Amino acid sequence: MLRWLAKRIIAAAIVVFVVTSLVFVVTHIFTDPATVSLPLEASQEDRASRRAALGLDRPLSVQYWDFVSGLVVGDLGESFFQTQPASKLVFERLPATLRLVAGATVVTVLMAAPMGMLAAWWERRFADHAVLGFSMASISAPPFWIGYLVIIVFAVQLGWVPTFGSSGFKSFILPSFTIGLASAGRLAQMTRRGIVEELRKPYAVTAMSRGFSRSYTIVHHTFRNVASGFVTMTGWEVTRMFTGYTVVIEVVFSWPGVGRLAVEAIEDRDLILVQAAVVVLATMVVLTNLLVDIARRLIDPRVDLA
Amino acid sequence: MTAVENPMDPAAGTGTGDAAPPESVTVMAELRSHLWKSKAGISGIVICSLFVLAAVAGPWLPLIKDPTKQSLPDRLTPPVGWGGTWAHPLGTDQLGRDILARLIDGARISLLVSVTAVIIAAVLGTVLGLVAGYVGGKIDTLIVSAADVQMAFPGVLAGLILVAAFGPSVWLVIIVIAISSWMVFTRVGRGLVFTLKTSLYVEASELAGASSRRIMWRHLLPNLVSSLITLCVLELAAAILSESAFAFLGFGVQPPRSSWGLMIQQGRNYVTGDGWWIVTFAGMAIAIVVLGVNLLSLWLQSFNDVAEREQIVLERPGG
Repeated sequence: MLRWLAKRIIAAAIVVFVVTSLVFVVTHIFTDPATVSLPLEASQEDRASRRAALGLDRPLSVQYWDFVSGLVVGDLGESFFQTQPASKLVFERLPATLRLVAGATVVTVLMAAPMGMLAAWWERRFADHAVLGFSMASISAPPFWIGYLVIIVFAVQLGWVPTFGSSGFKSFILPSFTIGLASAGRLAQMTRRGIVEELRKPYAVTAMSRGFSRSYTIVHHTFRNVASGFVTMTGWEVTRMFTGYTVVIEVVFSWPGVGRLAVEAIEDRDLILVQAAVVVLATMVVLTNLLVDIARRLIDPRVDLA
Repeated sequence: MTAVENPMDPAAGTGTGDAAPPESVTVMAELRSHLWKSKAGISGIVICSLFVLAAVAGPWLPLIKDPTKQSLPDRLTPPVGWGGTWAHPLGTDQLGRDILARLIDGARISLLVSVTAVIIAAVLGTVLGLVAGYVGGKIDTLIVSAADVQMAFPGVLAGLILVAAFGPSVWLVIIVIAISSWMVFTRVGRGLVFTLKTSLYVEASELAGASSRRIMWRHLLPNLVSSLITLCVLELAAAILSESAFAFLGFGVQPPRSSWGLMIQQGRNYVTGDGWWIVTFAGMAIAIVVLGVNLLSLWLQSFNDVAEREQIVLERPGG
């Protein structure tokens, strides 16, 4: 187990390293932060002086070494626009994003697990079709649109919760619900399929032929076998949240998270800050995958994830 | 089971790989009869056809106004049923432009971007998958690792960094969607090639001295087509959603051109007051079209069972 864990952590570190290096290639070879920060009509002298100010006139190898050695100690460069360390700005915003993802994950699991189980229980009956209908709607509607719809209904018409911002628990409900809704449809279908496939296996068929009801077999026989798959699928949804849903939903609800920071940084032409936000979000994806692998291994010792 | 459904059936890929006409006729007929029995398939086809029609024939449709014509006295006219008139069936936006006309105009960008991106991703991903699966060895390891890294670095993140570096543009959005989707085709293609390359007809042509390129192109690829088409439809739904998200964030189409995502971005200041219809109708257009594509893909999957391939698709994060 420890050997496996060590291997897995090293693999994750390598992925983070490759991804950040790719980011460096884009931000320092295809273009550079000085060029991005200046308007197109800026003169050559302006460009040169800003390049010098940002240390971009040094050889690329030196810059790359700086970048990599900075990463190791959590230094992500200096935000040009806000003249503060980019890592400080990103890590200030990270807890808000983590809270949002945690809330959305809870919503997703609480919706998807019962729906998937009901759909599998009454396979090809009304409940199954109803869950499929919900799932199709949930994966087809753009999450940012759902965000505005729930704002119109719950914040404007009913006035139950604030429309945006992050003041207390009430403002947290709508954004996490919106993200959870987007993920729940896919997760419900995956859960349903996991259970249905499991119910066709000989051990489940034997249990039912011995007279156990379908529901008893689902709960007592297939549950543990489905659980590890469920954790994996939930993990995929969490990575989706980090890299897609939170960015747009934070913009919709003016939620002070990393995704919105990145979008604002693009408007400010602050390449270093965008780079820092992207590196941190990509690291979150890799960490999520690592945690999912560990959880799977703990739930189902047969899983060999060499 | 027909030849197309069963990749192990040697009849589908023998000789030079050209499908015999009678066989393809049977497949088409079966596809059609299967379609008539499927509500999802029919609804999907109808929605997708309307979408393509609106996108292609938009400017020549009768009774549709100029999507860029502003008229400030008419700004924020509500839709019919909420106090509006048939002059603007779905109302007008903040600059008095006709919402229906702008929706139809937005269909073009949506179709152009998503289809182009999926074609690029499918061609690139399939070629890499074929090579990885057939050639194997170090090349395989390299391609698979690249696909794994891509999984950890999904579309929106790549989009953020590329837009920050190069500024917003439609072409950039196409490239971003393509690079966040190619590895799905690579994984599926590679997996299929692994099972196919041990089949007798491939071994036979190897013994007959056919080159690797010939085997990949003439013997393996034709057997991948049906699953890859299903995959294309599935990826198309994801691509339309991504395009709308990028446009919403302001990374894609720039005004005065219109796009559904951009309409939501521009209409969002009117959500809380007078003008809920801008965001509502634009989002509805996206949702209905994506639903149509998803229904089509649901039907194609039920026709051509690709459970384990779909599993791989669902594994991909983000997008």
